[in-house]
Amino acid sequence: MADTATASATGGSEPAIGRGLKGLLLVALPVFLVGWLIIYPIIAAIVSTLFVEATDGVQFSTASYRFFFSDPYSRANLALTLWTTGVCAVLLLLVGLPIALYLRFSTSRFADLVQSLAIFPMFVPSIILSYALIRTIGPNGTVDILLNAVGLPKIPSPYLTPWGPVIGLVWDNLPLTVLMLTAGLAGISNSAVEAARDVGAGPIRVFWHIILPRMGNSILVTISFTVLGIFSSFTLPYVLGPASPEMMGPFMLRTFNDLYDPLNAKTQAVISFVFCLFFGIFYVWSIARNQRSQSR
Amino acid sequence: MIRTYSSTSGRFDWTGLAFTILLAIVIAVPLLVVFTWAFTEVWRYPSVIPQKFGLRFWDQTLSRADVWEALSISLRLSATVTALSALICLPAAYAFARMKFPGRDLFFLSFLASHAFPKFGLLVAIAAIFLQLNLIATFWGVVLIQLVGTLMLMIWIPVAAFQAVDRRMEEAARDVGAGPLRVFWSITLPQAGPTIFAAVLLTFVSTFYETEGAWLIGAPQIRTMPVLMINFINNQVVIQYGAVLSVILWVPSFIALMFARRVIGTGAFAKGFGA
Repeated sequence: MADTATASATGGSEPAIGRGLKGLLLVALPVFLVGWLIIYPIIAAIVSTLFVEATDGVQFSTASYRFFFSDPYSRANLALTLWTTGVCAVLLLLVGLPIALYLRFSTSRFADLVQSLAIFPMFVPSIILSYALIRTIGPNGTVDILLNAVGLPKIPSPYLTPWGPVIGLVWDNLPLTVLMLTAGLAGISNSAVEAARDVGAGPIRVFWHIILPRMGNSILVTISFTVLGIFSSFTLPYVLGPASPEMMGPFMLRTFNDLYDPLNAKTQAVISFVFCLFFGIFYVWSIARNQRSQSR
Repeated sequence: MIRTYSSTSGRFDWTGLAFTILLAIVIAVPLLVVFTWAFTEVWRYPSVIPQKFGLRFWDQTLSRADVWEALSISLRLSATVTALSALICLPAAYAFARMKFPGRDLFFLSFLASHAFPKFGLLVAIAAIFLQLNLIATFWGVVLIQLVGTLMLMIWIPVAAFQAVDRRMEEAARDVGAGPLRVFWSITLPQAGPTIFAAVLLTFVSTFYETEGAWLIGAPQIRTMPVLMINFINNQVVIQYGAVLSVILWVPSFIALMFARRVIGTGAFAKGFGA
């Protein structure tokens, strides 16, 4: 990227300063939006939850955070969110990795079909998915109908239990997981795998010693991205999940919209930021590094 | 991905067949169920096939005033957000791809910020700001919050598109005397166009289905299609309303599927998310 920019800067007839100014002007608006609607609200949320207006002016106070962590309901919501995020991340890897490995090394005509199917959920909006899952795995849904038709007992429906959102979120996030893992696997050369096979390594040993060490980074990026998405997901947990405890997304919406309590909603938001901080930093860092290595 | 037929010519690909069948069941069955419900008049447990098919609920759904109102709001919102996003992001994308200016790399990476925080937390933080600006429950409040969500897609994908344009062709055109605008119009745009069009389309579709921001900022005055769907699901009026709406809502998504397949299939999309 830097190469092309340098070429255009030196190749253009205008002086470099004029071009630089023009470039800055062109990117000014979107960059301003990022500053005004992303960076500023986050800083404002942190500051305004820590410095609260009291009777004698603005004072430093951790009261809203102390309330969150002393309130059993808030703690239960946080615990449910962490549980859901963890279970989804593990399930997504367990499902996505075999598909990605298959797509990377398969040479058969099924590969295109598998890829199309795995990407398909990307084009199903989560609201339609929520509705579809209620009708499929909900009480007296299609799964129950089919089980009944072959003479088996009904399953305990995951609808309105913590497993409801897990099923929905795994379904919804499968395409990006598979795409990101496949992109990571594409960097592994065939010769490394073939060399290991030639000396007699089985598929599991090839995976463990050759493939896994080379794709560790892309697994971490994938996990970071899914964790960031799932931790504060809203639609699927709201529709498919239990009413109490609830995940952080629905919890924040209820605190903000129904209880008209922006202070506690902001506190919940900041707590979500803190819990996802590591994944956010890792995600940005690894993309920044990719960008830099591509531009060289 | 290069696939040669040689290595598996001897064996049947059972793994592939298993993946295909499993994925087809898990992914297709819930959607088929929705389609069946949309064309069903009576379906009582435990019958495997609906007792009575029919289009009665299409008439009923389409005669509801709230459905048309929500559709109109959703379309106006998506069109406004997409147009604004294209207007401010595409020139910026061109600048990022072609010009050198101070802070360029940092500004480019700053769009990642929208993906580096848990989304709903970010929305709540923005909503708190909008509360002071009296933007809650207004059309433009929803436009702004949805606009933020489109920035990264509308910058990163077009930047890649502009960078992929063959520079030699542009220079050749310039050598034979074409002005900068003419070069852009005749050389750059036709090459970058399809990818940019896919980005615009994806922005429109993802804005149309955006639920969280629309609800958090828009409630209760601005009720978009997805928010109306949630109401239908929660209040369980008639099961078919949700099914019919799903099938109708599916149309824009399906168009996007046809057009955006080339952008997404190439893995450019995954790269856009950092893989």
